[in-house]
Amino acid sequence: MDLFHDNPLLAGVRQMLGSFALRSMRPIAARHDREESMPWALMKEASPFLSQTAALDGRKKLTGLEDDPDPKKPRTAARIAVVGSEELGYGCAGIALALAGSGLAASPVARMGTDEQRAEFKKLMSGLDDQGRVKVAAMALSEPATGSDISGLKTIAIPDGDHYVIRGSKQWITNGLSAAVYVVWAQADPAAGRAGVRGFIVARGTPGLVPGRKETKLGIRASETAQVHFEDCRVHKDMMLGQATSAEGAATGLSDTKKMLDSTRPAVGSQAVGIARAAYEFLLDRVRGGSLHGTPMASHQHIMFELAEMQMEITASRMLAHRAAWLADHHQDNVAEASMAKAHGARTAQLVTTRAMVLLGEEALEPDHPVEKWYRDAKIYDIFEGTGQIQRRILARLLTGQNPT
Amino acid sequence: MDFTLDAEQDLIVQTVRKFADRDLRSWTADADRAGTPPERLIATATDLGFFDEVSRDDPASYAHLTRALRGFELGRGCAGLAALLETNVEPALAVATWGQAAAKDALFTSLSTGGLAAFAHDSRGLLTVVPAAGDLHVSGKLGPVPALAIARHVLVAAGGVLMLVPTSKLTLTPITPSGWRAACWATAQLDGVVVPADHVVSSDPAAIATLLAWARVSLAARAAGVATAAMEYAQAYAAERVQFGQPIGTFESLIRLHDDAVTGAIAARLCALHAAWALDARRAEALDLASRARVLAGDVVARATIDAVQIYGGYGFVNDYPVEKLMRDARAFEALHGDERLGRVLTERRLQEAV
Repeated sequence: MDLFHDNPLLAGVRQMLGSFALRSMRPIAARHDREESMPWALMKEASPFLSQTAALDGRKKLTGLEDDPDPKKPRTAARIAVVGSEELGYGCAGIALALAGSGLAASPVARMGTDEQRAEFKKLMSGLDDQGRVKVAAMALSEPATGSDISGLKTIAIPDGDHYVIRGSKQWITNGLSAAVYVVWAQADPAAGRAGVRGFIVARGTPGLVPGRKETKLGIRASETAQVHFEDCRVHKDMMLGQATSAEGAATGLSDTKKMLDSTRPAVGSQAVGIARAAYEFLLDRVRGGSLHGTPMASHQHIMFELAEMQMEITASRMLAHRAAWLADHHQDNVAEASMAKAHGARTAQLVTTRAMVLLGEEALEPDHPVEKWYRDAKIYDIFEGTGQIQRRILARLLTGQNPT
Repeated sequence: MDFTLDAEQDLIVQTVRKFADRDLRSWTADADRAGTPPERLIATATDLGFFDEVSRDDPASYAHLTRALRGFELGRGCAGLAALLETNVEPALAVATWGQAAAKDALFTSLSTGGLAAFAHDSRGLLTVVPAAGDLHVSGKLGPVPALAIARHVLVAAGGVLMLVPTSKLTLTPITPSGWRAACWATAQLDGVVVPADHVVSSDPAAIATLLAWARVSLAARAAGVATAAMEYAQAYAAERVQFGQPIGTFESLIRLHDDAVTGAIAARLCALHAAWALDARRAEALDLASRARVLAGDVVARATIDAVQIYGGYGFVNDYPVEKLMRDARAFEALHGDERLGRVLTERRLQEAV
């Protein structure tokens, strides 16, 4: 497999989602950003190919092809994810997260769930909700006191007969207000420390599950973020994840959740690349044919070297993401590469959007200006899914085996 | 050389700092969410003497250094409200310095009755200015301009001319940009607006350059204040927030983020003060120093506010905490009047080619 060129499958994904980004996402991006509203209509329209349960469905919906059943052969899932994520980030990061946010919850069910749990999750996600909207899922992991340090979870799950009683609050939960199903992480065995953390599938409407306040955010405003409270919420023990043994071995607690987060990092970095590319192309479009005091904008090094710098950084970030994905698809360790891809992509998105705003001058102060929105959207990529500092901590630990403080 | 403030400067700094800490910081979040200033702002600021400081008869006595000291403190309080509090200075100073009697009468009569004035620089070249029978006819789009939505007059720099225009002659569209949301922004459409000859304040390039230098120093000082505020908030948060068993403010990477930002903010403040001092001293290099101060302050406020959000982590991204607003507010400091670096490069290139 050639790392540096798309195969026909990846080219097809790129073309399809790139077209979707421009035709379906861009025209509604400013409105959903301004109104801080989920793009429910688009989510329904896109559901035939961008399923909220894609992690459980495999890739067929998106590509029309089944996964190769031979586990030793190279996969394409990670590369499809990075190629697709860049295009969706290029369209609108907030809408992209609304379209894909359920995947965060579906992934641990796909990886750690039993057949029965997968079936239950899919049942809970089938059909439309009582407002006629596609159903979404929420991964409830972060807590008010637990952002980067997810090993310090305070939410507890107390055994009680055939049930667990879950108690605690979750913070920054994508789809936290509207989800039809939650995958909540709680400490089920405090004596076991990290190994005692378990995930539970909890249906909306379960007594004690209380969706909290929706957050007003700097960016990605088309994606809903809310607190979720579990007030002695009783969940049947059959809904506890970690009872299955996957092809990759037993998958149970927090360490597997962290591995799952590792696996999404290249795609997250790639989504940031999409934001950077959007701002870069917007600026390039202004420069082509534009003039400055009677001279072509393109004749000015001040402007063109900035664009060249942006192009370099975008290309470097994209290569890092593709390299990390290629390694994952070829069953090779990619922890370092995934962290590099995520951290570098976030940095590039911030750099490019900030510089693009400076070069646009007063134009970028206009309400609903896309570059200003991309500037606000870009910041979260250096925070969620492991901050830039966490990525560097991972890389540093790989160098010496120590956690620098 | 002495960096000590004199008694009057010190009193002003202490007074404005108290106002910023006690009032502006308590108003800023609600004003941002509402997209409008608190009703008490104008009255409180009037009591503090914000709006009548420019002497019609003696504009040369105006102290830019004092203004920069004050602007820094206002920036620490709220960038959007600071823009409103500073809005009269450029129009009043320019009209008092170069304007004719009719323009002075119109503006200072308005200011004396609580009217506000805005300053708009057509940095994108969207306006056309055509002489006609001694007057000027102005058409095109103006803005976005802070304070324009509530101003009675706007001082417009366009087409090599400075002119005072009553806002009643304009078709205003109030807007709420992402940053400085409480600053009563507007754009304006001008369709052949007639500016009488006696409201043309100046067509001297040196006057316009001087006016822009005043604005640049003011922006730079306020930007340094915003950067300082960002790090004040971030440091307090980092001291309380514990992750991995220690306050995050004890991690070396965050110490460095904070430290570099504070270094930048101190440097930006000093550059702004230096440029202001040079303006007051009528130094030949004052205009260049003003431009350099804005370049540095723009970089510093961008970096500091982005890094403050980073230090806050997830909390930094939500509106309940102060720093996401600061990141939005940072942009106007670099955007107003256009890309400062570009202006510098083009000016230097013209100079080199002329040699």
